Amino acid sequence: MTDLRSGILRPFHMRGRWLLAAIPLTFLVTAAVGVVVTLTLSARAKDRAAVVQVAARQRMLAERYLNELLLVKAGQQADPQTIGADLNESAHALLEGGTVPAVKGDDDDATVAAATGTVLRRQLEEQIKLIADLRGSGQALLTGGRPPEPTGGETLPAGNPLMRARILVALTSATALNAARTVAARADDSVQRLLDAEIALSIGGLIVSLLLAGLLILILSRQTAHFRALAKSSTDLVAVIDPHGCRYVSDSLAAKAGRPAPQLLGDGLLALVGEQDRELLGTVARTGTPSSFIFTLVDAGGEERTLEAHVTDLRGERHLRGVVLNARDITERVRLEAELREKARRDGFATQLAEALEMADEELDVCEVVEHAMGDVSEATPMELLLSDSSRASLRRVASNDGVEPPGCPVRSPFSCVAVRRGSAVTFESSEDLNACPHLRGRPSGACSAVCVPVSFMGRSLGVLHTTGPDGEAPGAERVERLRTLAAQAGARIGTVRAFQKTQLQASTDSLTGLINRRSAEEQMRGLLRARRPFALALGDLDHFKQLNDTHGHEAGDRALRLFADVARRSIRDLDTIARWGGEEFVVLLPDLDRFGAIEVLERMRAALARAHPGETPRFTVSFGVSDTQQAQSASLLFRVADEGLYAAKLAGRDRVSIGTIPDEESQGPRRLDVELPSDEEEEFEPLTGGGQQDNGAPLNSGSEGPEEANGTRAGAASATVKRARRTPGAKRPRA
Amino acid sequence: MRKHALPGRGRSQGVSAIAALVAVLSAGVALSGCGSTRASASTPRTTPIVERDFHIQAPTTLHSGTVTLRIHNEGPDQHELIIVPGTIASLPLRKDGLTVDEETVESSEPGSLEPGEPGSTRDLTVDLRPGRYVFFCNMEGHFMAGMHAEVEVQ
Repeated sequence: MTDLRSGILRPFHMRGRWLLAAIPLTFLVTAAVGVVVTLTLSARAKDRAAVVQVAARQRMLAERYLNELLLVKAGQQADPQTIGADLNESAHALLEGGTVPAVKGDDDDATVAAATGTVLRRQLEEQIKLIADLRGSGQALLTGGRPPEPTGGETLPAGNPLMRARILVALTSATALNAARTVAARADDSVQRLLDAEIALSIGGLIVSLLLAGLLILILSRQTAHFRALAKSSTDLVAVIDPHGCRYVSDSLAAKAGRPAPQLLGDGLLALVGEQDRELLGTVARTGTPSSFIFTLVDAGGEERTLEAHVTDLRGERHLRGVVLNARDITERVRLEAELREKARRDGFATQLAEALEMADEELDVCEVVEHAMGDVSEATPMELLLSDSSRASLRRVASNDGVEPPGCPVRSPFSCVAVRRGSAVTFESSEDLNACPHLRGRPSGACSAVCVPVSFMGRSLGVLHTTGPDGEAPGAERVERLRTLAAQAGARIGTVRAFQKTQLQASTDSLTGLINRRSAEEQMRGLLRARRPFALALGDLDHFKQLNDTHGHEAGDRALRLFADVARRSIRDLDTIARWGGEEFVVLLPDLDRFGAIEVLERMRAALARAHPGETPRFTVSFGVSDTQQAQSASLLFRVADEGLYAAKLAGRDRVSIGTIPDEESQGPRRLDVELPSDEEEEFEPLTGGGQQDNGAPLNSGSEGPEEANGTRAGAASATVKRARRTPGAKRPRA
Repeated sequence: MRKHALPGRGRSQGVSAIAALVAVLSAGVALSGCGSTRASASTPRTTPIVERDFHIQAPTTLHSGTVTLRIHNEGPDQHELIIVPGTIASLPLRKDGLTVDEETVESSEPGSLEPGEPGSTRDLTVDLRPGRYVFFCNMEGHFMAGMHAEVEVQ
């Protein structure tokens, strides 16, 4: 508490308050003392006046005493004794205090205080003596007796009583006058002293008041300086507006606007405010509402600043009569917020993309997600994803942005793509630049800018994400960033899916031959179909295998199967697939080849088989039936066509390759091979015709574990055997 | 009463008090100077005169020449001092028979003092030629009551 009173800790705006009270207090005290002094003065003056009056009256009484004496002496009626007594009593009253007798016909009783001061008392004592002498002389005059001896120090002529009385009257009169004069002088004196005191008091009060006022002005000016410094150093942008325009702008606001403050007064500020905000500012000036708002201001550099203003309505405040705006520059904040929003959007994109990819089990699904994501990155912009297959020999477009022509990068090998080689995103401002990628030049769509982002998985390049834009206008950093995200996530997913598939593949390998099994082959084919990738399908069957089995034993059969598998594996291309379908049946998938191309491959295989040294195994041959996606677009139809081909090959004498024909829908050709076909339905009863088609008593067994069928139970040619299609778990899987 | 030649009653008490103080101081200086310059013939002599109700105490003889009279009023009333040549009996009285007719003797008086306050001491320097003089107070009845003294100047 004491600290608060000692000016150090007291807030500076509190200082000087006591002065505001001290100044009027000083005046009050001065005035009060002045009034008291005046009242005292007038009361004392009144008392003095009474004393002076009485003192002066003695002179008159002495004269009257003589007159009365003379009247009595002349035989007239008079009363000098009463006058003499009055004289005496009055003198005593003046000396000792008390009631002064009223003199008939003159005035009333008066009470006076005892005389003070040696001079006055001596004068009154002298007067009393003279009065006594006078009364004695008067008595002597009237009675003719002997006058008493003078007591007041006077010397009187003897023998002339009247003269004595006259002299004594004169002396009494003079003494009375002296006393009155002394009293008056002392009254004068005290009045003067009081007047002096009052003047001194007034001057003192005035000086003290002036000092206090000066101090007050000093403190107030320091206080004002404090506030001014505060207001000036404040970063708040302050303006006072009224319906007629701007009345005040702070230095900080002027600095913000980049113009001298006077230029902003009146309509100056309004001219800098964004057009759409002018009306709002006008409303604020008129109504003092809303309590806060945001407006824009064009600074000297022509840059638009966003200001947030708080409104204080001081129109009713008589020192201001306006609306006060306390504004802050929130341009940076607004920009940051926009950035954060954009970042959130980007993060959202990444998250959504990750979630979508997580749901994609197969490469094709991944491609679909990528296509969708391309639309999110940038709608209607040429964009494509080129991927190499497992052999990593060539790049193929697997996804492109919807609704626009894909960029169509002619690059074929992953290693002729600069982005893939560098392993990082590459941006080309213009295809015409010297350092532009050669693949960008000479495109049908003309010159362009481009971004190429490599797609990789664990350091192994998988392909490239490619987009083009208008020539000279390369996509911004933000889009490149999103493309990176897309490429990274897609690469990770594709790599994962492929690795998974490889694992699956290994898990589904036929143990005898080392070839993939039927289920894997089916999945691969479905994949090719879904990708609408052209391919050829071949169904192979070892000739006279049952015979070989029966003659040379199962060991020889197994050796034959292994031999064929080895030869076949070596004969096909990297991207081709051969699978053991069951028993002595094989399926070959030949992507990117039509049936005629497939024949070349298969003929090579047959030639290799013929050359192969079977060792202990007797020589054997193989027959193939071929179909391709030009003939049929469904798995079942492809199989049927290939089956037709195989049947035709067997019929034509085996050890050959035949192209199947599309069966007539109405009258399906007889089926010699009981090849189980993939089906769209859960269960399917497929009529198979048998009989009359078998020759050499060597029916081809279609089932790996169908000895009862292999036993030629289908000999009854006329009887149509209805066989319920068997299904492996893989074949049961519904297909997209 | 005669016209006032010295500061009168109208002035403030403060001023008269200061005047009195100055007078006392100068008197003190004069007194101290007196002792050291008694031998010097040119130094004016100082003669004390005492007035009181109703006597004047003055030396009966004085040397002629310039003399400073130091008049002390013992009071209790105010008293003046008028010096005129002549004897008490020779002074003319006014018609009231109680006061000296000052106007008649004014031209011949070597000096006079206005009424002085009781307790005051004042100097009056006069040039006296040999002869008889009357020192008196002419306030109302004072002369007649005995405030006079005859002085022989030689």
